[in-house]
Amino acid sequence: MDRRRFADWSLKVGIGAAIASAIPGVLTLRGKARSAATKAVEPGDRLVFALGQNAGQPVTRGGFSQNEAVLAYPEGKSDNHENLVLVAKLDPAELGPPLDMTGTAEGVVAYSAICTHLGCTVRFSEEPMDAAPFPHIHCPCHSALFDPRHGGVVMGGPAPRPLPQLPVRLNDKGEVVVSGPFTSPVGVKA
Amino acid sequence: MSIGGWVTGRLGLDRLRAKYLGKPFPVHSTFFLGEIALFCFVVLVGTGMYLALFYEPSAASITGGAGPMPLAYASIVAIDATPFGALVRRMHHWAAQLMIASIVLHLMRIYFTASYKKPREVNWILGLVLLGATIGASFAGYLLPYDQFSVTATAIGYGIARSVPWVGPALADYGFAGAFPSPSSVPRFFAYHVVWAPLALSGLIALHLVILLKQKHTEPAAARAVRAPADAHLIEGVPLWPQQASLMAVLMLVVIAVTAVLSAFLPVHPSAFYGPPQPITPEVKPDWYLLWVYGALRLIPGGLSFRFLGATIGSEAIGAMLVPGILALAIVLVPWLDRGTSSLYYAESPTASPRRLAFGLAVVTLFLALSLAGFGAELGLGVPVLWVITLAAPLLVWWGSYLLAGGRRGAGA
Ligand code: HEM
Ligand code: FES
Repeated sequence: MDRRRFADWSLKVGIGAAIASAIPGVLTLRGKARSAATKAVEPGDRLVFALGQNAGQPVTRGGFSQNEAVLAYPEGKSDNHENLVLVAKLDPAELGPPLDMTGTAEGVVAYSAICTHLGCTVRFSEEPMDAAPFPHIHCPCHSALFDPRHGGVVMGGPAPRPLPQLPVRLNDKGEVVVSGPFTSPVGVKA
Repeated sequence: MSIGGWVTGRLGLDRLRAKYLGKPFPVHSTFFLGEIALFCFVVLVGTGMYLALFYEPSAASITGGAGPMPLAYASIVAIDATPFGALVRRMHHWAAQLMIASIVLHLMRIYFTASYKKPREVNWILGLVLLGATIGASFAGYLLPYDQFSVTATAIGYGIARSVPWVGPALADYGFAGAFPSPSSVPRFFAYHVVWAPLALSGLIALHLVILLKQKHTEPAAARAVRAPADAHLIEGVPLWPQQASLMAVLMLVVIAVTAVLSAFLPVHPSAFYGPPQPITPEVKPDWYLLWVYGALRLIPGGLSFRFLGATIGSEAIGAMLVPGILALAIVLVPWLDRGTSSLYYAESPTASPRRLAFGLAVVTLFLALSLAGFGAELGLGVPVLWVITLAAPLLVWWGSYLLAGGRRGAGA
């Protein structure tokens, strides 16, 4: 190999190595979860109030009345925003497919509270409105509308997918307990 | 010997003076829009440097007077608790708003006078990048107070990043340092906002200005009528030193005075009023310069989606990426879409080309109509009505301005 070829090759190898050595640096940019409270929800988790004076207390069947909803987290996992769920108590006679009926108990249903459009926290409202003359879930950000009686299907607005349902049951103390995984991926999907 | 003469002698400033300080600047009030943006940036750097002395970039929870709250939020509330701190915070905010507003007006001035033509396409693109970088810097700054409003706004940004086809989730997690809201996001955004963005902006601004010096200003269209064609390359204006420099100094003081007066009377982003972040989402609208994206997001129905190269482009990606992307691309390509002859020396009158005028006004109307769609609920207008307005208004404006500027005559000839 002559000197010119050698210099040429060293240059190329050097540039390649410099680029390759930057990759681990770029990979560190992805943040790391820091606390145990960021674990994902699992069957068997109790749901606890996310807000208000009862924050951290278990959500029970007697804790809220029909056509009311609360925001809840699986107990001890409140640092993972994707665990935020909306637990509503509806008229059992009105529930219907595509709702997973085995994941409801006495009209109590739970949905991911993260809007499938761009991730705002959705709200429950029992005020009938034109587009939804029944208790509904809506998003304050771009007005997506979901039907909590029927598996969280989209009734209007820009949301591309139904709200994922979180199957729940009631334990012997009347507390709301998670009985299965979310029925679809939570939040915004690419 | 005078002090000035002494310095000049040591540093060889005579040559600098001869070469640059005599540069003529055409005087026209709209030529100051870019300078206003520059001075807003100076105010931002100044006020930002003050805020950075007190701000604590951490989402860690501390126990404040009203229960636990993030450290970042508490430090902002503490800044606001002193009259001077509150004033500086507001000035930082107002200067950011004014900077974006003046860049937008600057851009419109360049467009409507056709000053983007060859060889100035380079600065057209750079100017657009500057606008994007400024909005990006603002977006990063928005999170810093870490109140409920900030966290909601950034969460939507995170959602938008996630919705990007193919790479969304990775892009979002790399950019926001983990799933937002994550405790790592605050220091990450602080670094973006305080180090990366100002450095990038300074570099881009410097480049923009060096290219301007090299290529020289266009002159107002009126100059063409009074100048012999052989003298077209001459520029009539005031020299950089001392006339233009003193005009600039006055303008800079006016910008500072205006931000100070606005800040004294009009509060912006009252963090203590919004309160620390909570899992619920308040009713929020973005700042005025992003209202059009917000409007587009509300208009695209959830059912709209298509598949492209293995990715599903859903309503959220259409509203947040595709529509803004197409609009941005159309604006970027303006110098190449305009097939009119280019003049190296003169700007044109806005009505010189009916086609350019009509296109520009139609795009402005489209932005306004999309922004209006962001207020549909408040105005009692349903999505179908807003769709009609969004499609019809720009077309009507296009057609009307084309005819008024004599477009049909031109086409018939
Ligand atoms: C060297 C330059 C800069 C520094 C050191 C700086 C520093 C800061 C700091 C420490 C904060 C948090 C304090 C607060 O929220 O009041 C902040 C917030 C903010 N900054 Fe900057 N900044 C700089 C430039 C900019 C630029 C160029 C823009 C945009 C054009 C900008 C827009 C904002 C916005 C919108 C906020 C939110 C402020 C608030 O909510 O009060 N900053 N900046
Ligand atoms: S985030 Fe819920 S509608 Fe856009």
